[in-house]
Amino acid sequence: MFTLGAISFVAPLALFGLATLPILWWLLRVIPPAPRRVRFPAIRLVMRLVNPEESSAKTPLWLTLLRLALITLVILGAAHPILNATNQFAEDGPLILIVDDGWASARHWNKRQTAFSNLMDQAERQGRAVAVITTAPGNADQSRAMESLLTADAARQLLGALQPKPWPVNRIATTSILNELKYQGTPQVVWLSNGLNDKPDGSDVAEFTSILQKIGDLTVLADTLGALSPLLMPPVSERDGLTISARRAASGVASSLSVRVRGEDGNVLTRQPIKFDAGETTGKLKLTLPAEIRNKVTFIEIENFNSAGSTVLVDERWRRRPVGLVSARKRSSSQPLLDNLFYLDKALDPFTEVRVGTMEELFKREIAMVVLADPGKMTTKQNDRLLRWVKLGGIALRFAGPRLASEKNPVLPVRLRQGSRDLGGALSWAKPAALAAFRQNSPFAGLVIPKDVRVRRQVLAQPSVDLPEKTWAQLTDGTPLVTAEKRGDGWLVFFHITASPSWSNLPLSGLFVGMLQNLVQLSRGIVGETGERILKPIQSIDGFGRLTDPRPGALAMKASDFLSGKAGPKHPPGFYGDETARRAFNLSPSITHLTPLSDLGAGVTRDTYQETREQDFRGALLLAAMVLAILDIIASFALRGFFTFNRATAALIALMMTPLIFSTAQAQTVVPDNRVQANDAREFAPALNIRIAYVKTGNSQIDNTSRAGLEGLAFIINSRTAADMGKPIAIDPATDELSYYPMIYWPITEDAPVIEPTTAIKLNRYLKNGGTIFFDTRDSSGGGVGADRLEEIARHVDVPPMTAIPSDHVLTKAYYLLREFPGRWTGGRVWVQRSTSQAAERANDGVSSIIVGGHDWAGAWAMDEARKPLYPVVPGGERQREMAYRFGINLMMYVLTGNYKADQVHLPAILERLGQ
Amino acid sequence: MTTPLAELHNRAELLAANLPPLMVAAERVAATVAQGVHGRRRIGQGETFWQFRHYERGDSIQHIDWRRSARSDSVYLRETEWEAAQSVWLWSDASPSMHYQSTKKLQTKLEHADLLTLALAALLVRGGEHVAPLGRGTIPSTGRMALNILAAALEDREEELAQRKAKKETDTGSLPPFEQVPKHGRVVLISDFLEPLEEINHAVGVFSNRGVDGYILQVLDPAEQSLPFGGRTRFEGTENEGNALIGRVEGVREDYKTEMAAQRRGLEAIARTAGWGFSTHMTDQPLQATLLNLYVALTATIEWTGTA
Repeated sequence: MFTLGAISFVAPLALFGLATLPILWWLLRVIPPAPRRVRFPAIRLVMRLVNPEESSAKTPLWLTLLRLALITLVILGAAHPILNATNQFAEDGPLILIVDDGWASARHWNKRQTAFSNLMDQAERQGRAVAVITTAPGNADQSRAMESLLTADAARQLLGALQPKPWPVNRIATTSILNELKYQGTPQVVWLSNGLNDKPDGSDVAEFTSILQKIGDLTVLADTLGALSPLLMPPVSERDGLTISARRAASGVASSLSVRVRGEDGNVLTRQPIKFDAGETTGKLKLTLPAEIRNKVTFIEIENFNSAGSTVLVDERWRRRPVGLVSARKRSSSQPLLDNLFYLDKALDPFTEVRVGTMEELFKREIAMVVLADPGKMTTKQNDRLLRWVKLGGIALRFAGPRLASEKNPVLPVRLRQGSRDLGGALSWAKPAALAAFRQNSPFAGLVIPKDVRVRRQVLAQPSVDLPEKTWAQLTDGTPLVTAEKRGDGWLVFFHITASPSWSNLPLSGLFVGMLQNLVQLSRGIVGETGERILKPIQSIDGFGRLTDPRPGALAMKASDFLSGKAGPKHPPGFYGDETARRAFNLSPSITHLTPLSDLGAGVTRDTYQETREQDFRGALLLAAMVLAILDIIASFALRGFFTFNRATAALIALMMTPLIFSTAQAQTVVPDNRVQANDAREFAPALNIRIAYVKTGNSQIDNTSRAGLEGLAFIINSRTAADMGKPIAIDPATDELSYYPMIYWPITEDAPVIEPTTAIKLNRYLKNGGTIFFDTRDSSGGGVGADRLEEIARHVDVPPMTAIPSDHVLTKAYYLLREFPGRWTGGRVWVQRSTSQAAERANDGVSSIIVGGHDWAGAWAMDEARKPLYPVVPGGERQREMAYRFGINLMMYVLTGNYKADQVHLPAILERLGQ
Repeated sequence: MTTPLAELHNRAELLAANLPPLMVAAERVAATVAQGVHGRRRIGQGETFWQFRHYERGDSIQHIDWRRSARSDSVYLRETEWEAAQSVWLWSDASPSMHYQSTKKLQTKLEHADLLTLALAALLVRGGEHVAPLGRGTIPSTGRMALNILAAALEDREEELAQRKAKKETDTGSLPPFEQVPKHGRVVLISDFLEPLEEINHAVGVFSNRGVDGYILQVLDPAEQSLPFGGRTRFEGTENEGNALIGRVEGVREDYKTEMAAQRRGLEAIARTAGWGFSTHMTDQPLQATLLNLYVALTATIEWTGTA
């Protein structure tokens, strides 16, 4: 390899050919092009015109130059020049790529892709084997595929499919894979790092490089300091907005990043710069947002950084909900500490928007919770208004107080005794009571009760059967302190004390704030989350910071793990919970430090990522030489006078050039595309026909029966209906694309393995998008051994509630009218999805996504080449065979056409109308 | 096992196969011309009645048609149509140079020459003249037979050429052969006449010196007129004349045209000296025009000699 600036030559020896150019110049000049030969009768006249000087004619200069250019191009092409060639490796062993594919690599992933391509090009040229090892923890099977030595082409495909992960890397964990790697010769190790240390002091990097250096010659590619990904921290709730902070790895010059705040539907709510001062690694941004806008925030990201680290999800915890304090009078400003509302305002203000006004004023706007802190007498009309609002989902929070007693019929969860109870007063023996621990079903469960909270006075509830159920908080002696009753979708909550410290010091404690906060959370319909609650993944953030469907392998998470949990393959960042309540799990809190890659030590080549893709000029040069050769031929013909330039000649030349132009255009298209094309042909083939797929069980007899049965069914369907079925196809649901098949026939064997969770995710997606799986337990009953096994293996699959086929089900009339559904056996039941809700009907056109039965239908359908049945039916008879075919046709029609036959229930009505 | 008789038969078959198209073509060309000329309708010695006319002073009394004169008061002479038959010897060049055609669209010079020869012969025969191929010792004859003989002679030249080639003779027959043509006989020579002028002059002289009248028709391809080539070209002769390398044909085109004009002027001079007619036919021109010119020129001399 010989390098000249940005251009390198693979075969530099060929350049010596350039030395022959002067000789060629002389030769070309001396040997003129051969003359055109013409037989001509009037030769005698022509002979008189011959000029003796002309015989030593020379090649015209331009033609000589053309030919020299041609030869130069050929020589340069033979030397195989490459622009921006990557460093060439001297060792002859395999190429081992260590790829940091954690969140920090997403920012410049395309540069990494370029590096992959360059390295693979080089490995391909040199015929090296390649091992790819990714440092971010992934699913076990993936890393296993990577660790063996691959050809450059296979590795290119692997790397093309590689995506950054939304969690940090764990480099030390990969050393075990490195140790297992088997190879010959001295490997060349290239570490495509993310430019960050795992540990703040860089000890992990030092350890890792020393391990890599033991293996072979090490080159480390790292992002420049400025290109490192910043980390966006979850916002902190403030009274009037959110404070967003971001961290960067390099404290250098002052810089500014753009922060974009998005709402639920993805539209941008605001966009503001976050500034880093020179020498600072942390930048802060105060976002002042109106409560309505603030409540919409779900997604905050640093613009143009597209990584999981620069993206933060926001859930209800960051939202301020409007809380109304009902005040009949003006608040007395002279003695604020005696006012009930003062304490409520202080307690609610940090996390809610507090509005004060009369009930009528408050109900004019949307409001989550209304607090009635002993507002005085309420009219019946006001009470009705309040109850109506509560039933719609509001939370009415009432506090006891002197004025409550005067009300005849107050709106409360419990009936009260007359008067109040004094504890520890001058006339009482009892001491002020403390609070008892909250029960599990209380929304306050999990809150820590300070030891010094005492209640001196309270109102008492009339004992009743349901009082314990309604009690959310009680004193140590068992008297209820907070009672609540569900009314409609909302709650009526009653504090048996005042909101001012006159009856209790609870309003002065932090517990009061916590209780109110939990109640506000309750206002959205969630019972306050307890630590043991399991939250399912709803949406995940991918490596590029995009919100997508939950990652395969994402597991549910305990609510208590949200603050301490670290993002990883099991728990990728994203939303967890269910549709009514979801919590955001972010990557950035678990990343404690952000330090640039420390010094690597001696003997390590450190480089940055190149922007430019290697460009191989050989093809282009040889192509240009070919063009020149054609031009030379044309010119030689023209010199001999073979043709004059007219339209026909121009057309001919154009015709000759066309393939060249096309091939050039083709050569310019980016190379990596061929991976996609190669896959297309194989993957699209099943989509060209309607095919039933059957799942390979591994038992060859069952597989053969499935194939023969589905072929027989396809034959019957093709001969009796308009459907045009292709040949059935065997699939492995774990690896094959399922979306091409309208139905999958799945015979269950007693020893069938459990469906893997990753496969189950694929199957669930297939079912959700309209696919149908037909499980055949082949045990005659649909409720025997096979069914139990089916239940076991399909435990990860979303099996809807099932029911035996009702007599008016579409399957009984999709093509033939059927009353039973025999296969090889008969008498058992066939189970379909129960059509419970309207939503499910609409989702899949009412077609049951799963059909289960045990009649071994494939056995009944199976035919040999002569179209003779392969297996007898039991109890037997042509009628049963025919009915089995009919069921097969009905099934296929049901799967293909949906439930339109169900409309026949209206047929009598339609006929009646027509009769008129 | 081929007997001489069988061979003769074969040749006759070949002739029969080849001749009719040529004859038909020649007849067709001749027919279109004949309609324009109206034959030989003029007074002369002959048997056929031509016209009556009034007696004028000086007319021979022998010519008075008494039967006609008796039917009226005036005296009428009986005039007969001129029927003096002339003999014309025809020759067309069949040397390799005549096989030239510059583009596929044009016919070869030979085809034009042969067609002209036969068409002229057909016209002459129609007018009652006698025709014979030159250089064969054939006695001029008239009628369909004469045309057949002529056509056969044209056909034979091909074989002669092949024989000459086989014997490697340098003479390619591009100049007319000599034959004892009677005085006042007529000779029509059709060729490209690209040979040196002296040779042509000699070949024509042997006829004209004996008082033989004649006509020279030069048949040329348009390419020979304009030299439409370009670039570096090696010209090769068709009759072993050698070759010539021209560096840039475009550069010498004008010179060539001058040379060609000089050749034609030389031919004209030879014809004038001999008192013969001369014209040039290009293969891209219609045959009829040339044939008409040729025929008119030929019959004019015949008329002129006839009245002399």
